[in-house]
Amino acid sequence: MGSVALRNIRKSYGAVEVLHGIDLDIKEGEFTVLVGPSGCGKSTLLRSIAGLETISGGDIAIDDTVINTLVPKERDIAMVFQNYALYPHMSVAKNMGFSLRLAKEPQAEIDRKVRAAAEILDLTALLDRYPRQLSGGQRQRVAMGRAIVRDPKVFLFDEPLSNLDAKLRVQMRSEIKELHQRLKTTTIYVTHDQIEAMTMADKIVVMRGGHVEQIGSPLELYDSPASIFVAGFIGSPAMNFVPARATGGRLVTEAGAPLGEAPVALSEGQSVTVGFRPEDIRLSDTGIPARLALIEPTGAETQLTLRTGETSIIMTTRDRVTHVPGDTVHIAITPGKLHCFDPETEQALRGGRQ
Amino acid sequence: MLRSDRFLAYALILPVVAAVVAFVVGPTYNVATLSLTQVVMGMERGFGTLGNFQALAADPVFGLVLKNTAIWILGGTVLCVTVGLGVGAYLAIDSRMTGWLRALILLPWVLPDVVTAMAWKWMLHGQVGIIGQTLQQSGLTEGTVSFLGDPDMVMWVLVVVLIWRKMPLVALILCAAIRSVPDDQLEAARMDGANAVERFRFVTLPNIAFSLTAVTVISMIWITAEFALPWIMTGGGPANASQIMATYIYQQSFEFFNWGVASAMSVINLVMLASIVALYLYINRRSWASEGSK
Repeated sequence: MGSVALRNIRKSYGAVEVLHGIDLDIKEGEFTVLVGPSGCGKSTLLRSIAGLETISGGDIAIDDTVINTLVPKERDIAMVFQNYALYPHMSVAKNMGFSLRLAKEPQAEIDRKVRAAAEILDLTALLDRYPRQLSGGQRQRVAMGRAIVRDPKVFLFDEPLSNLDAKLRVQMRSEIKELHQRLKTTTIYVTHDQIEAMTMADKIVVMRGGHVEQIGSPLELYDSPASIFVAGFIGSPAMNFVPARATGGRLVTEAGAPLGEAPVALSEGQSVTVGFRPEDIRLSDTGIPARLALIEPTGAETQLTLRTGETSIIMTTRDRVTHVPGDTVHIAITPGKLHCFDPETEQALRGGRQ
Repeated sequence: MLRSDRFLAYALILPVVAAVVAFVVGPTYNVATLSLTQVVMGMERGFGTLGNFQALAADPVFGLVLKNTAIWILGGTVLCVTVGLGVGAYLAIDSRMTGWLRALILLPWVLPDVVTAMAWKWMLHGQVGIIGQTLQQSGLTEGTVSFLGDPDMVMWVLVVVLIWRKMPLVALILCAAIRSVPDDQLEAARMDGANAVERFRFVTLPNIAFSLTAVTVISMIWITAEFALPWIMTGGGPANASQIMATYIYQQSFEFFNWGVASAMSVINLVMLASIVALYLYINRRSWASEGSK
């Protein structure tokens, strides 16, 4: 129980279509993260699954049963909201037990389930408190507790950590992941933070402008992004992109500096956009000449900003850097770490080498 | 320097203090002393008697006045707030129609009391009133109904007119309160399985509780102070069947010139109003205190 299938989901507000046919399969127990910039439709998609929005076309199925026309309460889905959405006039215990109370479960049963959920979330001491007496992280846990007591087929999270400070966010991130490993409930999680997506997800769905850009495991997206958008969105600092062309199976910058072997078959002289990650660059004696513009040590590694003509390149290195800003250096890219994109369609170029 | 500052401060608050003394403290003191003074034919005959209060206690009309006043204030307030809550909840729904209605509903408020009273008096008239005629022509009643002439009905008819006049603002205030209930709480309740009635009962009502108590107490004060409407429509009749505090005080003082008895009633009225305000302040302060730790 708990698999979710989306088929050609469309959603329009009047004449404006915001979801342009989303297809997605989520296996039972999977932790799926919908990620993308603001306005990409990820929250709308989540709310459509919850039943808070009616879709304009397509089918939503849970365990092979189409639930399009069911109201939220009949879908067996629980949702955690960004602003927690706790009922301010109810104690923590009442908040968590509200759905059971509405379902007319006996009070003893409600108490038992609320206690069990509170145990899991370390909320037992707070059961008699009111939401206004809790910190942000505690409120977030109560919101999760409210979802857990129902033992639903699917958990939905709508940017649950974005109101927390940075330290708490990291802590809650691991708590949610641990919780998922323990309960193994199918989870759909919306965030705009790619680090949250990378660290938590079994499967990431990158969305942009109402379309799915790419679906895959975190490392699949990292290692073989399907488009410039995904390549730039996943990974921090972001991937570097430089315009290049192919000559004799190798890629060179427009100024003629060598980048490395082409990862895919390209025709002679073909223009491509080449991408490479900051950690796949190293300083060398030969290679692309660049001026060192900025050195930012973070302790474990150092981030360098380099200028080659018009383009800026970010590199990170774990070595100690002895250069000073203004120096001219040469950089080389680790062989096999180049990504090629079509400059027109911005899609990744695939295909074997000739 | 400090001295002149203090002088300036007193000088600045002097007009307000003078106004309060002249228009609030003065008349109140006057009425309070008058209520303890024997008055015969508009002439003061000796201070320091409880005779006015004893006369009230012996007056059979005063009992009726108290009963009518209870219907007027309690019935009026309860109906005003419940009807206002219903209308407000409807107006809170987003649609083109409610957008217009939200503006239109205030119309009863912009009419002067006298116009409202006269219009309703004619509409409810026993022989020529349009409401009675319509009921008769549609066959719902045998003859015309004398709404304001029937002692059993008149008080409640007055309350209906009162609701018509006072409810709109209550509805608008509650509409605004309902619209400010956080959407995510309502959505969370939907996810928790609450239907529309349960969402209203368990999420909306607790969220607007503060506005609801405020509006209840305010309408209570409005209704207690309302005089023109009952006075113009019935003048307390028939046979004192619609006599309430406000109209009886007016009648005793300006028609019968029983200043002493009228003042005694005013004092009772003042104590009543003051306790309502005290209750309001108490509730207000308590809810602020409980919100305080937010």
